[in-house]
Amino acid sequence: MGEVFVITSGKGGVGKTTTTANIGTALALEGKRVVLIDADIGLRNLDVVLGLENRIVYDLVDVVEGTCRLRQALVRDKRFEGLYLLPAAQTRDKNAVSPEQMQKLCDDLKEQFDFILIDSPAGIEHGFKNAVAGADRAIVVTVPEVSAVRDADRIIGMLATNDIPNPLLIINRLRIDLVKRGDMMNIEDTNEILGIDLLGVVPDDENIVISTNRGEPVTIDEDSMAGTAFRNIAKRILGEDIPLMDLDEEDTFMDKIKRLFGINKNRKN
Amino acid sequence: MKDDSVLFKGMRGGLKIHIKPGSDIISIKKSIKDKLSEGRHFFDGTTVNLVFTGQTLMPSEQIELIDIISTQIEIGDVDFGDRAKEQDDNLHEKSYMFTGIEEGMTRFVQGPVRSGQRIFYEGNVVVIGDVNPGGEIIAGGNIIIIGTLRGLAHAGATGNGDSVIVCFNFKPTQIRIGKIISRPPEGEDDVEPVYPEIAYVKDDILVIEPVK
Repeated sequence: MGEVFVITSGKGGVGKTTTTANIGTALALEGKRVVLIDADIGLRNLDVVLGLENRIVYDLVDVVEGTCRLRQALVRDKRFEGLYLLPAAQTRDKNAVSPEQMQKLCDDLKEQFDFILIDSPAGIEHGFKNAVAGADRAIVVTVPEVSAVRDADRIIGMLATNDIPNPLLIINRLRIDLVKRGDMMNIEDTNEILGIDLLGVVPDDENIVISTNRGEPVTIDEDSMAGTAFRNIAKRILGEDIPLMDLDEEDTFMDKIKRLFGINKNRKN
Repeated sequence: MKDDSVLFKGMRGGLKIHIKPGSDIISIKKSIKDKLSEGRHFFDGTTVNLVFTGQTLMPSEQIELIDIISTQIEIGDVDFGDRAKEQDDNLHEKSYMFTGIEEGMTRFVQGPVRSGQRIFYEGNVVVIGDVNPGGEIIAGGNIIIIGTLRGLAHAGATGNGDSVIVCFNFKPTQIRIGKIISRPPEGEDDVEPVYPEIAYVKDDILVIEPVK
């Protein structure tokens, strides 16, 4: 029986879709059967980030309306065994699906997959309610900005009223140089307000922009800090006890040389 | 079976005793006796005003009931009948001003109160935990926050300017007491006090100072 996670944030643009794609990929790399659901009907992105855009035939709305069978709508990832995408419809809107239908969909998928990750749309309206309807647990993504943390706080409250207590937190796009100068909220500041368990911290990494545009999750890049962070997050979801990356540590000169020669596969983080 | 011929309800300075119309005097007496012995210690040492509502009682019955109650608690004013009814209506229909500063109804809230959550209570409010930015506590009486106030707190919201806000760590977006609205000074970087502070209104100005 699989477990359903909703990945949500309240605020837009904090990296929900990227996070969903990367955690999903990392879980698939660990040998799990994973399906990613894009619940952002009308503004779908997850297919693009995964590079599966041109393989979509049916979508989530087709499934709930009975136009196709669930199996037909699942897009198998071209690179990773066990990773599937259930894309959103682009020509419809959030009202095309009801929370009850989402719940039923999740229950069906639970029987076939180990992990179901739902990429929630921004906002707290119908789309959010759809996204959380079938979820067992929630991952709240935020960036270390006052406005994003405020929205995350609101979302945590709403998750509790939707019977999803104790969500997990991912702090995305942390810039250690700014934190050191005192120009960005640090992990403690964020934790102090939100007060939920920290699942991981993803450093700001230009590789994300590059890989997202290419449709290749950064997780597969062994040398990327963000990729490592996402792989660690996946391992924590699987119950491994992995300490937070030491972001504070600048790469030493030797590390950089090693990386240049590609012999740094086993960096400690 | 639980006897429901009599209902006790707390009110300002006393008890409202609602007697279900049609109840017979024997079951009324029994029910009052039972309820009093359950809550006896609650009334220890205080004078309790009584208001009877519901079924109209005969004068002899009234005396009987008073006798029973006075064995357990010290009785202040007693209202039977019409006067009580009037007051009863007032309690419900008009939103009355909560005047309890030293004592009164209090609601305890388990924090954190998160963004978008609004706690409204006509008495005092105690928050065990933080109030985050975007969270609101609106109380008719005092507000005590065992944690950090980062959101909005409005004490004396029904007009009670004597109410206070006490908090372990004041970092509010705004605080209001009665009709006075105040916000933290802009531009000043937080000098963080590490002691509890109290906010109250003095000469129409909202003052925050350490709790002595």
